[in-house]
Amino acid sequence: MAGGAVKDLLVAMFGEPQGVVLFQLLFATQFTIYLSLIAFIGGGIVAACITILRILPSRPARIIAQCYIWFFQSAPLLMLLFLFGLGVPRLIGFDVNIWIAASMALTLYSSAYLAEVWRGAIQSQPVGQWEGAQALGLRFMQTLRLVILPQAFRVSLAPTVGFLVQIIKGTSLAYIIGFSDLMSIGKRWANAPVEGTEPFVIYPLMALIYFALCFPLSRLALRLEKRLGTVPKTAPVAA
Amino acid sequence: MLLLLEGAAFSIALTLAAAVLGFVFALGLSGVRFAQIRYLQSVATCYVEFIRNTPLIVQLFFVAFGPPLLLGYQWPFWAHALLALILNFSAYFSEILRSGYGTVSDGQREAAAALGIGKVLTFFKIVLPQAIAKMYPSLASQFIFLFLTTGVIAEIGVNDLTQAGKFIDSRTFRTFEVFFTLTVIYIAISLCFKLLLAGLQRYFFGWQVAR
Repeated sequence: MAGGAVKDLLVAMFGEPQGVVLFQLLFATQFTIYLSLIAFIGGGIVAACITILRILPSRPARIIAQCYIWFFQSAPLLMLLFLFGLGVPRLIGFDVNIWIAASMALTLYSSAYLAEVWRGAIQSQPVGQWEGAQALGLRFMQTLRLVILPQAFRVSLAPTVGFLVQIIKGTSLAYIIGFSDLMSIGKRWANAPVEGTEPFVIYPLMALIYFALCFPLSRLALRLEKRLGTVPKTAPVAA
Repeated sequence: MLLLLEGAAFSIALTLAAAVLGFVFALGLSGVRFAQIRYLQSVATCYVEFIRNTPLIVQLFFVAFGPPLLLGYQWPFWAHALLALILNFSAYFSEILRSGYGTVSDGQREAAAALGIGKVLTFFKIVLPQAIAKMYPSLASQFIFLFLTTGVIAEIGVNDLTQAGKFIDSRTFRTFEVFFTLTVIYIAISLCFKLLLAGLQRYFFGWQVAR
């Protein structure tokens, strides 16, 4: 297997405990990546629905969407993870798959922020675009699909890529409900250190791996921002 | 109930302390980059980018368990948490400040130089006040966001709001209710912060920020 070969290589390069630790960390990183992708895609789908609701010419729809965004932007990700990972299983009385719980929490979290970013991008289009399309006899969804979205897409690209960084960092909290990712494996080694996995070695190492995942995306977002322009900052960014 | 109140008070106090100290640190970081002191500038940039691209929880665990093992000292856990939060907050604040300086036109600096005002004085008396007024909304929302992330400090055993919730949960086993209440408390506190910060904005910068 390819994994075994990589493991042997790392052990040959760094020696017995360190090579194994490094391999396990890199191996666990894939779950960080998968979870990030699930959260991004799931969050994107939910966010698309919320964004549409948010800009529909119907007042109740707008209010519902706004409440949704407001609630999930104000609720800490940690609490969402506790709720879906520990709270819901105990409430309904049987174990929820850890992937489902973690994905749910991260999806809700990312959907609120993405919806806000996309709403900003759509509303940054001048009103004249809507009016022009209306004058041509296009209906609401047609206007959105043919006129507004292609333009808004360019504007929203940079902050969307930038938000991916927040999602990747956010997945590091999923270990709290028992999700086995980079964070979880690293913490396990640091808690029971053997030679070379003391906390002052392993946490910087983990930070480096996270950095290697996030930094290219940050740079890409910055470059896109310079090239394509961006929406005015609506959502704060951190994690 | 009392436990939740204590935890909430602790969370708020720690966040405020970290925000104030982190802001001071951020001023230094962004000032170094603003003044373009050659080597220090790259160090500051690397630091900010590194913090911004790694999860808070990793930074927290490093600060809490790395140095103590290496140097053989151990502060109380809350001090380690505070240190980690300061390091984390400062990176975000400094990035906002840095982009804020960009909104102050170069003419302001040139005019100050022409009047013979020193660089440090120019920074604190001319550039900073104008930049802060522009950046205040970003700083405020970033502060609230950072408050929402502080729950992770419970992971190193600090008695904050999240920890209080976990304790109650371990006694009552009503996990969903406990954490839902906790979520509501977090939202309520951040709403209070939001109102407070908006009030401060009107009070200090109302005449400058056209919104």
